[in-house]
Amino acid sequence: MNRISALLDGKRVDRVPVFQFALGFCARNVGYPIAAIYQDPEKSLQAQLWSKEMYGWDNAPFYGYASYGSWEFGGPIEFPSSELQQAPTIPYFPVQSEEDIKGLKLPAVKRAGMLPFAMEFSQLQKRLDLPITVVVGGVFTLAGNICGVDRLCRWMLKKPELAHQIIRLSTDHILDVVQYWGETFGAERVIPYILEPLAANQIISPGQFEKFVLPYEKEAHEKMLSMGIKHILCHICGEQNLNIPFWEQIPMGNPGIVTFGKEVNLATAIRHFGDKCIIAGNVEPRILQEGTPQEVYEAMKQCVIEGKDSPRGFIAMLGCELPPMAPPYNVHTMMKAVNDFGRYS
Amino acid sequence: MTSKERTREIIKGLYDAVVAFDEGKVVELSHTVLNESVDPYVAVVDGLASGMSEVGDRFNKMVYFVPELLLCSDALYAGLNILKPAILASGGKAAVKGSIVLGVVEGDIHDIGKNLVKVMFEAAGWTVHDLGRDVKLQRFVEEQAKTGSEVVGLSALTTSSMLAMQQAVHMIKSSNPKTRVLVGGAPINIDVAKKFGADGYAPSAGTAVAEAARLVKH
Repeated sequence: MNRISALLDGKRVDRVPVFQFALGFCARNVGYPIAAIYQDPEKSLQAQLWSKEMYGWDNAPFYGYASYGSWEFGGPIEFPSSELQQAPTIPYFPVQSEEDIKGLKLPAVKRAGMLPFAMEFSQLQKRLDLPITVVVGGVFTLAGNICGVDRLCRWMLKKPELAHQIIRLSTDHILDVVQYWGETFGAERVIPYILEPLAANQIISPGQFEKFVLPYEKEAHEKMLSMGIKHILCHICGEQNLNIPFWEQIPMGNPGIVTFGKEVNLATAIRHFGDKCIIAGNVEPRILQEGTPQEVYEAMKQCVIEGKDSPRGFIAMLGCELPPMAPPYNVHTMMKAVNDFGRYS
Repeated sequence: MTSKERTREIIKGLYDAVVAFDEGKVVELSHTVLNESVDPYVAVVDGLASGMSEVGDRFNKMVYFVPELLLCSDALYAGLNILKPAILASGGKAAVKGSIVLGVVEGDIHDIGKNLVKVMFEAAGWTVHDLGRDVKLQRFVEEQAKTGSEVVGLSALTTSSMLAMQQAVHMIKSSNPKTRVLVGGAPINIDVAKKFGADGYAPSAGTAVAEAARLVKH
């Protein structure tokens, strides 16, 4: 039984499904360098499929990373070269000044940055009849990856027109990518993954969210859905409590999947999103790396108990990426807790 | 000689301009300090630095967020750039509260948090030796030894790079057991800080200075 597909189709499942946001961990798990997950679509898919089989996770493999945007808009990207590096990073940003924005063009989606890798990965997903996913944005995080979040923050207050300009480009780029995926695979098969950690209240205020994120994110989601996309997975990472009234206004599909970090408790998430979205979250990733198996078991048990009766369904998940260096036994223990407490009668 | 009332007015103006992230006003008032022979040291401590302390409080209370904090720090530095040379030229010396070596550990290039911490320490009168980001662990040891800093501050954003912290703490302590190590960053909490052997933990940029001051006292 594909539990996550069943929830998306509005069907009942036998137990809470598990979405493991695991990339570097899968590479290490099968003996590949972490960079292989991001640079080699075939190895990336293998590593994720083998790890899924080994641990019993429910989600399909996916390709992408949070620092998406720099490379695609003409800047650099660095792939992990040691075990201390978790994911690709941006050594410097393609937009360093107001002048740079003037020369900024929307990337050609068939050629830019990592998109050829992502397309190759999605072709493999299609060949294996897996859900087709594409990781892009959100609008604010993508903008921050183009010009640097500190520069974006300064512009929001000092030169808001520049901030709007760059977030506009981010929004249009996201829509270009999703349209390309939709045309290639059929929009109804594609699930866009929106990652929006930089829009958290650790960085911006709810007022700034309302002004600089809400209109663009809302437009992007509405247009994706009008293309025929059925479900959007939106990873609302970090402290987002003050942004919740705005996130609620953004359509996610029917149902969407909204995934939370530890900062938003599951009762709050269910109260605001449970009637229209599948809720996913929210065990702190650090516990998987630093905690004892008992602590992992207890944390996942609480998570499953709190979330499992959410009206449109619940997915057990960490609040963000599974640490690549997490002890394998802790990952096993996480699954054990879901199997022990996540069953539906 | 500027009257006490005028001096208070100028210093209050500097304080307010930092809090309002009005860089232009800070520049204007800093020149006024020099033109009207107000003590530049007092202007820095009671005006600029005191304003930045209020900014830190507002950040802790989620009244201010990173955009405001960045612009306040720009205003602070604009004033310091004008007033610090005057303090040195007059033979005056800023009372240094302490010295800290600061950096983002090896494997991690996310430095916005570290940069905010740096501002708060500088505003509070500490000497900051900023090693930047993705810092080889031995560099923390070397810089502490070279500068004799009482505190080393380590930052990390990812669960992978945070693993370097434990090793860094060990290396720093092995080189100089009296050095106090302060850690911070998204995946860190007080339990992890203790597990890694750090002396202190700061959950935010706004709390780091107070925590470092506490460590130095003990």
